[in-house]
This record gives sequence, C-alpha cells and structure tokens, in this order.
Amino acid sequence: MGKKLAGHLTSLILALLLGFSLIYYFDIGKKAPVARPDSIIKPYIEMDIDLNDPLRQALFKDMITLYHPEQSSDPDSLLRAVLTYRRDMYEAELQSAHTRQVLNEAKLRQLGIMFLKYVIVYILVLWLTYYGVETLGLIRFIRRKQNKVSYIFELINFLKEASYKKLNTYWRIPTLLVKSVLRGLLYLIFFSPAYVIAYSIKTEFNTNTLIFLILLGLISNGLLITYTNKFYAFLIAESRKGYVLTAMVKNLSNDYRFTQPHGVSLRALFSMRKWFKNHVLNHIYLNAHYQYLGTFKEQASFLISGLIIIEMALNIHGHLSYELLQQLLYKNYDIVIVIVMSIFIIVKVTEIFTDWVIDSKRRVYENRNN
Amino acid sequence: MKNKKQSSFFETLYHHKDRLWSMVWFLGMLLLFIWDMLYLNRPALLKVIDGAMNTFLIAFLVIVFALFIAWLAVNLLFIIRRKGFFVLETVLTFLIDIIRSIPQIIGILLGFVFIAGLLYRNIIQSPMAILLTAVLIAFFVFQELMDLMLDRVNHFRRLDFYQAMTVCGISGSRILNYHILWKNSRRHIFNKVVAIFGVAVFLQCSVDFIISVGLSTDISSMDLPVTLGGLLAHIDSKQDILAIGHAITNPGYFPNLFFKHLQGISVAFSIVFSLLCIYKISNGLSERFRL
Repeated sequence: MGKKLAGHLTSLILALLLGFSLIYYFDIGKKAPVARPDSIIKPYIEMDIDLNDPLRQALFKDMITLYHPEQSSDPDSLLRAVLTYRRDMYEAELQSAHTRQVLNEAKLRQLGIMFLKYVIVYILVLWLTYYGVETLGLIRFIRRKQNKVSYIFELINFLKEASYKKLNTYWRIPTLLVKSVLRGLLYLIFFSPAYVIAYSIKTEFNTNTLIFLILLGLISNGLLITYTNKFYAFLIAESRKGYVLTAMVKNLSNDYRFTQPHGVSLRALFSMRKWFKNHVLNHIYLNAHYQYLGTFKEQASFLISGLIIIEMALNIHGHLSYELLQQLLYKNYDIVIVIVMSIFIIVKVTEIFTDWVIDSKRRVYENRNN
Repeated sequence: MKNKKQSSFFETLYHHKDRLWSMVWFLGMLLLFIWDMLYLNRPALLKVIDGAMNTFLIAFLVIVFALFIAWLAVNLLFIIRRKGFFVLETVLTFLIDIIRSIPQIIGILLGFVFIAGLLYRNIIQSPMAILLTAVLIAFFVFQELMDLMLDRVNHFRRLDFYQAMTVCGISGSRILNYHILWKNSRRHIFNKVVAIFGVAVFLQCSVDFIISVGLSTDISSMDLPVTLGGLLAHIDSKQDILAIGHAITNPGYFPNLFFKHLQGISVAFSIVFSLLCIYKISNGLSERFRL
C-alpha cells in the first residue's frame, strides 16, 4: 500500500505543480485578443495623445513631416492607420470584457462551492451504482441458478411446443412479448447517452434539478449495466470454483428459490450489507465482491466522465463541468486548469481510497496484520 | 425434421450471442436506412449517412491506433523489465498512470478544442482532423488494452511455457508478440477491441455533442467532421428529440416521431442501438470464448 500511496501522491504533486505553472503562464498572457500592429505605426501606438482631437491630429501630421521626413507613407494615411488600430483595440477590449474573468478569491470561492456540489453528487451516484451493480448482478445470477432464460427464448420455446399446450395457457404469449419489449426498452434507456434521455424529456420535466442529475448519472451512459455485467461475470467465475462444492458438501444451502426456508432471502438481497446466512451464495458473493473492488477505480473514472457529460450537455448553470465549458469558450485557461486540477484530485482520492480498501481486504484474506 | 432444423438454428444463435447481436445490429441499421430512404428528405439522409460513416470510421481508426499504442507500450515495458532499467520502468508506468487519472472526456475535449483550432487556422484539413481525432481518443482509451496485454504477459511469464521457450533459444520479442499475444491472447484482445469500439463511439459522440452545444463560436462544429454526436446537437435534430417528451405526455403524437421527426430520431437511435449491440456482441464473445 505504501508504494502505491507514494505513487499516487507523487503524481498528484507533479500534476498540481504542472497545473500551477500553467495557471501562472496563462494569467500572465491573459490579454484582450488584438492584432499585432504594423511595424510602421508601431512607434505611434503607445503615444499618450488624444488623436481624436483635430488640433492634435494637425500637430501629429506636422511632427511626422518635420521630424520623420524619411517616412514612406504620407502623414494622413499614417494617422488613419493609427486611429483604426486604436479603435480596433478598444472594440476588442469591449467585446472580451464580459467574458474575461480573473482568478481571484471570489472566483475561487465560487468554484469551491461548485466543486463541493460535484463531489456530493459524485459520492451519491457512486454509492447508488455500487449498490445497484451488486444487487442487479446478484439478481441476474440467482435467475440463472433458477434456470430462468430470457423472455424471448422462453417465448420461442413456448411457440415451439404450442401445439401441445392447453388453450388457456396462450395468454403467456402477449405477456412474454410485452415483457421482452419492456426489457428491450429498459436496455435502450440504460445504454442511452445522458443527453439523449435528458433532451427526450426536457420539454415535459424539469431536468435542471440535482435529483434528476443523480438519477441520470445512475441510469444513463451504460454505466450500471456494464458494471453489473462485470460483477455477474465474477459471480459466475466464482461459482465454478471447487470450494463451492466443498461448501455444499459441508451442508451449506444451495437452494436459490426465494420462497423456501433455506433459499435466498430477499431481505438480504436488497440490503446494503448483503449476508446470505448458511447459504453457499454468501461465499460466492464475498469472493466476487473482492474482485469487483479491483474494477471500482475504472467505474469511478467512468462515472466522473459521465457526470461531466451530463453537466456539460445539459448546460446546467452553476455546476463545475458547465463552468469548465464556459471558461473554455471564453478562453480563461487559468480557470480551466483549476477546474481540471480539481477533477484530477477527485480521481486520485478515489484511487487512493480504493487501493486502501483493497489492501485492507487483502490483509483479511491473507491473514496479515500489516 | 424442418422444425428441428429451425429450432437448432435459433438455439445456436441464442448460444452464440455475438453472432446473434451482430445480425441484430446489421438488420436494425438496414431497417433504419430503408425507413429513412422512404420517409426522410434527401439532404437530411445524406447528412445522417455522412455522420454515421464518420463516426464508425473514427471508431475503427481508434481501435487501430489504440492497438498500436498498447502494443508499443507493452513491448517497451517488456524490454525495459528484461534489461532491468528500473528507473525507466517506474517513469513509464508513472506517466501511463497519470494519463489514466485524467478523465477521458476532459482529455478528449481539450484535444478536440486543439484540433478545431488547427482547422480554424487552416493548418490541417478535414481528413487529417479525422486521423487526429482517432489518435486523440486512442490515447485516452489504450490503457484498458495495455492492461489486458500486460496481464496476459505476466500470466504466461509465470508458467514453464515461457522458461522452456527461452531455453529453446526463442527470442523474447517472438515469445511476447507471437506466442503470447498472437497465439494465446488474440481472442481476449479481440473481445477488448470490440468493447473499445463501443467506448470510442460513445466518447466521440458525447464530446462532439458537447462541443456543438456548448462551444459554438470560435470552435465551430462546422470545422470538425460531421459525426452522429454533432448531428444530434443541430437544432433540427434537437427539436426532434425534444418531441419524444411531447409524445410521452401526448401518446397520440407518438406515430409522428417516425415521420416528422425522423432526422433526430434516426441519429439518436443509431447511437443508442449501436452502443447496445456492441456491448452485447462483446458479452457474447466473452461467453463463447469463456474469457
């Protein structure tokens, strides 16, 4: 753990150092976008004279004729060029004034509040996906152990044997069809990028609430279904191992029905701390859970990307990712760097936390004290 | 007899889910194309086809570049480890870890802004932008592939297989590239590549949608090659998607979605349906190859 922690901290420090250097660089170069002046008019740009005044214009022209007779352009066109350049500069300054923001204490405070909001949403969605992945993965696993097949396959099997069935069992055909369609729709929703779902219901529902953001983070972008499938794969792999047979020989229950006394308890299945007492599923679950922790970093990183997509695509004002997009548009790169650094910190803290959890679990498994 | 043959076909398809879902994907997209040919106006249809082609072309290029970068990284790490350059190995691993810690979407978004800037200044043209986009996305997704390759290499290095080959005088690079990666891991790699194809489609569409929605002044989406994500962000497609909400509360309006709002619906369907099918194909492959 110590080696990993050192690696994480070093990369964090290096990234922060790089970030601060970039902030310094962008802060210095932060000016209104102006065109470079022509070399002929360059000496006259910085002159502190109000050239809009006709008297000073006449003085300027006399000065050019008297003191710079070598000047190739005539004084009138030179004056026009200087005036045009000064006007362009002024307009550019005006145009960028409302978009240019300074990285001061007030801005940092504003970003801090957005960061906190982002962290809260992130932790909540991470917790919900963690729970969702384990519960849905277990449900799928139990359904498999109960020898249940997909609705479509069930329908095909039913139709194949339809001629031997009684007439009053035919109600199953529409039921299975509806179930398959609903399941397909649910899959499509789970795989929809967040912006597709959000824009689909934007006209009828308020999509700018925090609850909607959390819900969208949970169900969209394929996050839940992808990691449920990973957890399910771990459960399947564990169930094929030898210790499962040993456990069954030692009289642990192998009944996966919900309604039986020695079956799987629904309460245990839906509780946060899943514990299937005297059931072989408990051991399969615990070992699969340990392996799932290894993918948790990846899941967290995917979730962070998902939340950024949601906030940016939905243009939710006052959120960190939307602010990032705005500042990118306004070319306030110092603020962009601060936001990117803050998100990098979240990723690193998650990585450190996950490594710590995995390490402590490993110690328990390997009976190590340190 | 005929019935038995048909059922075995369905059963084979059911158990070979990768083939089943490849077929479903192809048929679904074909059906969508025929429907669009019938009911979508020609300019919009051409835009949708262009967007889909660009999206899948970029995603394909992403997997090519990701494969190359991952292969390069694995070979480099392998050589460095064999030569015992501990410091170099630490530095390389450290750099890869830093890339891993940057959320993909942020890295790609910043890269897109850079590419759009190059296009805006006429430094590069559209075909080059497609290549650069693919390299950019590959740079942020190759780690998964690299991790898989490294896992396989580490697994085989622990076996007698590796020592025996070394004793036989087979060069390290041949053992790594031919015997481990090609002969013993290509199924795993292929499965991962399919998953990365899906990730590439998702990331590309998302970033393009975000850029088209949020960065519409200097970094105009018109400068970047049209993809499904960018098309979805166009005002006409967006209105089509917004119409779904109207259809939810007014079910009578639902049939209009398939005639009046076809552009947005086609684009959204192409993205969602492709993502679902790619995921199912990848799962089917893992099941079939028992990975």
